[in-house]
Amino acid sequence: MPNETTSPPQSVNVQIDGVWHQFPKGTRVIEACEQAGKYVPRYCYHKKLSSPGNCRMCLIEMGMPKMGPDRKPELGGDGKPTINWMPRPQICCAQDVSEGMGVRTTSPLVEECRRGVMEFLLINHPLDCPICDQAGECRLQEFSVEYGNQGSRFLENKVKKPKNVELGPRVTLDDERCILCSRCIRFCQEIAHDDVLGFIDRGSHTVLTAHPGKRLENNYSLNTVDICPVGALTSTDFRFKMRVWFLKETKSFCTSCATGCNTLIGSREDVIHRQTPRENNDVNSSWMCDYGRLKFKYVDSDRRLLEPRVLQNDKLTATDWKRAIANVALQLKHFGGWNIAIIASGRMTNEEMWLTSRIAKSLGTQWIDIVPHRGPGDDILLSEDRNPNTNGAKLLGLTSEPGAMIPKMVEAIKSGSLRALVVLCENPLELGLTADELRNLPAFITMSISQNESTDLSTAVLPSSAFAEKRGSMINGDGRLQRLNRAVRPPGNARDDWEILRDLLQALTDSNGVYTIDDVFRQMSEAIPQLAGLSLTKVGDLGLQLVNIDESPAPPRAPKEDDIELAEAKRPPGR
Amino acid sequence: MQAAIARYPKDRQRSAAMPLLHLWQEHFGFISDAGVNWIAAKLGLQPINILELVTFYPMYRQQPAGRKHIRVCRTLSCAMAGSYDLMQRAREIAAGDPNISVEFVECLASCGTAPVCMIDDELHENVDPHSIVDLVRNQQPIVRPRPEPHRLEHRLIFKNIGRRDWKIDIDTYVADGGYEQLKKALTMSRAEIINEVKTSGLRGRGGAGFPCGVKWSFIKPDEKKPVYLICNADESEPGTFKDRYIIHEDPHQMLEGMLISAYAVNAKTAYIYIRGEFPEGAQILENAIEEARAKNFLGQNILGKGFDCEIYIHRGAGAYICGEETGLIESLEGKRAYPRIKPPYFPAVLGLYMCPTIVNNVETLCHVKHIIAMGGAQYAQLGRPNNTGTRIVCVSGDVQRPGYFEIEVGKVTMGQLIYEMAGGTKPGRMLKAVIPGGSSAKVLRADERFKIKDRQPDGSTIEREMFIDELPMDFDSLAAAGSMAGSGGVIVLDDSRDMVWVLNNINEFYAHESCGQCTPCREGSLWMKKITDRMMLGGGVVEDPKTLKTIGDNIAGRTICAFGEACAWPTQSFVEKFPDEFAARAKKPIPPPLPPELTPEELIEDRQVPVRPLAHDPGWEKAGAAGTI
Repeated sequence: MPNETTSPPQSVNVQIDGVWHQFPKGTRVIEACEQAGKYVPRYCYHKKLSSPGNCRMCLIEMGMPKMGPDRKPELGGDGKPTINWMPRPQICCAQDVSEGMGVRTTSPLVEECRRGVMEFLLINHPLDCPICDQAGECRLQEFSVEYGNQGSRFLENKVKKPKNVELGPRVTLDDERCILCSRCIRFCQEIAHDDVLGFIDRGSHTVLTAHPGKRLENNYSLNTVDICPVGALTSTDFRFKMRVWFLKETKSFCTSCATGCNTLIGSREDVIHRQTPRENNDVNSSWMCDYGRLKFKYVDSDRRLLEPRVLQNDKLTATDWKRAIANVALQLKHFGGWNIAIIASGRMTNEEMWLTSRIAKSLGTQWIDIVPHRGPGDDILLSEDRNPNTNGAKLLGLTSEPGAMIPKMVEAIKSGSLRALVVLCENPLELGLTADELRNLPAFITMSISQNESTDLSTAVLPSSAFAEKRGSMINGDGRLQRLNRAVRPPGNARDDWEILRDLLQALTDSNGVYTIDDVFRQMSEAIPQLAGLSLTKVGDLGLQLVNIDESPAPPRAPKEDDIELAEAKRPPGR
Repeated sequence: MQAAIARYPKDRQRSAAMPLLHLWQEHFGFISDAGVNWIAAKLGLQPINILELVTFYPMYRQQPAGRKHIRVCRTLSCAMAGSYDLMQRAREIAAGDPNISVEFVECLASCGTAPVCMIDDELHENVDPHSIVDLVRNQQPIVRPRPEPHRLEHRLIFKNIGRRDWKIDIDTYVADGGYEQLKKALTMSRAEIINEVKTSGLRGRGGAGFPCGVKWSFIKPDEKKPVYLICNADESEPGTFKDRYIIHEDPHQMLEGMLISAYAVNAKTAYIYIRGEFPEGAQILENAIEEARAKNFLGQNILGKGFDCEIYIHRGAGAYICGEETGLIESLEGKRAYPRIKPPYFPAVLGLYMCPTIVNNVETLCHVKHIIAMGGAQYAQLGRPNNTGTRIVCVSGDVQRPGYFEIEVGKVTMGQLIYEMAGGTKPGRMLKAVIPGGSSAKVLRADERFKIKDRQPDGSTIEREMFIDELPMDFDSLAAAGSMAGSGGVIVLDDSRDMVWVLNNINEFYAHESCGQCTPCREGSLWMKKITDRMMLGGGVVEDPKTLKTIGDNIAGRTICAFGEACAWPTQSFVEKFPDEFAARAKKPIPPPLPPELTPEELIEDRQVPVRPLAHDPGWEKAGAAGTI
């Protein structure tokens, strides 16, 4: 969702708690206060949604400049306008700043308003923080500390409402905790365009619900959990799993499609517990889809590969990394370039792709491509391109048209002219190759994070790392360079992909000199004009927009028949 | 159904949701799931959008009712006249007959003839536990003659109400000089009409008393968007029952006032938002509109003057909040009647369908006709400066002759109104208090002294101390007395009344009617009701009066709409002005926080609960003593 660009804004002068500030015209008062370091508590207001002004937590004192008889503001001793304070408190979430406006965010009246609203919100709220998933990131808790009363004056029975309501397959609702701020309803209407939530009944008995015949099951439903300021909406997947204060939050982005929504990965002791969207107005605003959000379970799968294996006596046998890399290099050195194909992945980082393309060069093969992954997209965030780094693959010369070369490769493998296959983070069985054809390959090397039917058929298996286990960069569908950060460590002896590829490259070329991933990036930035002058550090948390990413280097050219025949076959050590 | 949909602009089909729900319920008796789904599909909406409405408006039923459905009014004036006994009797009747169902409903806007009940669509006045049996059997409404105007009255709007020779058809109205003012207005320019209304000093009769001409002048003369006029006929402030008579007995006066006003603000479409409890009134207005259309008083090219205007009826469904103009607009748009925040949604700028909209009360619109007839300056001679014209005051409660009285604003005092016009308190009773402007107005004690600034003819003011009897019935004096003229509903309370009971009744009304959109009113109104409930049941604790007062303080002025004040003012004023009565019902010494084993029920039951200090944590004390926290 790109930012709307507006004409250069004019500034207006606003007095906040006695200090004059300048803000661009069109700034919400509540945002202006925040920018001035005066955070105003709020429940219903969300800057990405419309303002209903219903929670009344952001009441402040507001004033307008006093007008003289000449219809011009009267100036005080300091040369600034004298402010006519309104007798009643005003909400600051629905109004824009205007010239000469005055705001008081800490006056006794304002404090009294906040205490009053807090008391009202809490009288019917269950006292179940100890078992509530929101505890630790709950606005009610946070503002209670600042504006709550110490005890309760409420002697009556609380209003009873439905508990443990399945609003949809992924969202669970506790209506007694709901403070009726309507954020989730507005999100469904305004962002997800799926108007399924609403309030029924009236007054204090108002209940949030979905129509019994239509559930909250759109692909953005979990965003309602993120924006719920209290524990009313909880993620069915995450609830009761982990207290949020134990979670380490790592800034990353989602690798489930080409959008690359910015995320926070919540993990504890090398286990990922949840993924939540992180605001980036150039990419995903404040949202992400459920599909991408929940696609981290495979990281903790039982099928993860834990140690490198090579084929010994027709059996894949565990070994150490040094021997595994040497074995793979030996296998590949037996073949001429035209006998070797590399099936890479659009899910690899730029650094991994860069090393892959250098390996391809050193092997002398131009049989290289990535596997396209596509699926239905939408007009909100989800891209049809389910590869997070197609643009990186193009820029780094792995492919010009993802998947264009794959059918030819498959044909060449079937016909026996291709004799060595390197598969990086993909499953060749999904490309039309049969198990027998793979079994017959003299050299079939896979780098993968988890075990599958094709890894079992390999002559060497190199266990690598998932997106949350490594550092690296990718280029999203809009040409934005973004950075992955390591949230958890890879299991067992699995290694960072780039290290595996670097070691293999060094084994193939007897070169040296790449010690860190930053070195890899530096090599790339020296070779690729679009990345010139950049480093992983400079990518930052919010990424960088690249220009001219379509001007990629000459793509690999499909080999001709003659070339293949010229190639000389030798007996590899694998099979 | 198509006709109901066609009443709203093409891309605004959602507005037809409420009319379709009414049609569905009239046909099937209640709104089933199938109905919700069918209407949603018909209007291109989601089922939840319809379910939201069905559960918001109390008149929509999700369960079938009896063949005969009795609605008994629960609200203050009727309750004082014995509607709880009436309800008890009605329940007994229904218990023995599966074809009869009963419902205790909030104000039916006929407080002058309390207690009232509706049997199906028909209103029955002055019902008692005996007569309800006959009513249910025969359902013949007893028609009582309307009283003659009192000598202190000045009948303008109510000229035709209760006239023996009066019929509601258009011929009677035209023969009486009706629609002449519309003809006259159509020869005037819009600015001229607005100026006349400004000159007249007419203030809104709905409750807030905002100058009508000023409101109209918020509409830009060169407005490009369509302008809408809405007649607020959602009369529902307890104690108020004036619009009912205009609608039922003089509908053409209201239409004429609307047409003149629509012309003045250049509205080509006008809606009458009539409360759901006036089904007969809605039908009368529908007929009147057709009669007026036949005579070309509305429709295309009215009277050949090139002005087009359509008037449509939109029925509410039992929600008090629809009387709030932005809540009304939301309701008319087919949504829950959640009032809008102002700014930015001032109706004159962003009203119905985000177009400029003028919302006026029934009575206000009727006055426009008389302003055109008399001229603004002449009209301004009526009443007192800044409180011009006449207004209808509705008296109910503990008086001998409750009813409506049209007076020149400020020319009649509270004493004259209660003792001369309404016949005074009942024999042997003394005046205790007056709620002067609908149940939300702050109560006035009979023995209070009010400091009122009296405006002299030369423009100077003299401050004078007044008894309640001397208070002039106008906007400014009642405001100066610390209350308001509001909607003109005067509820009189005599010395037999328990003020905690009265407040409890009012609190129940506002807790039931709070729309629930914004926090203070949603939570506070029910809390106040629960406290007075408990006090009435004998479970009051010493802190209760103070708690009540501070809840009110935390609501008033902090909400989206004026309902916040409406529900807080009664509590604030009753507790402040009758401290002894409240203290007498709040004697239990148990202070909050309540011991965990104690529920409100146990407070009420007077169970022996040891008053003991809060359990303390010795560890905490130790740490505190050591100065480590």
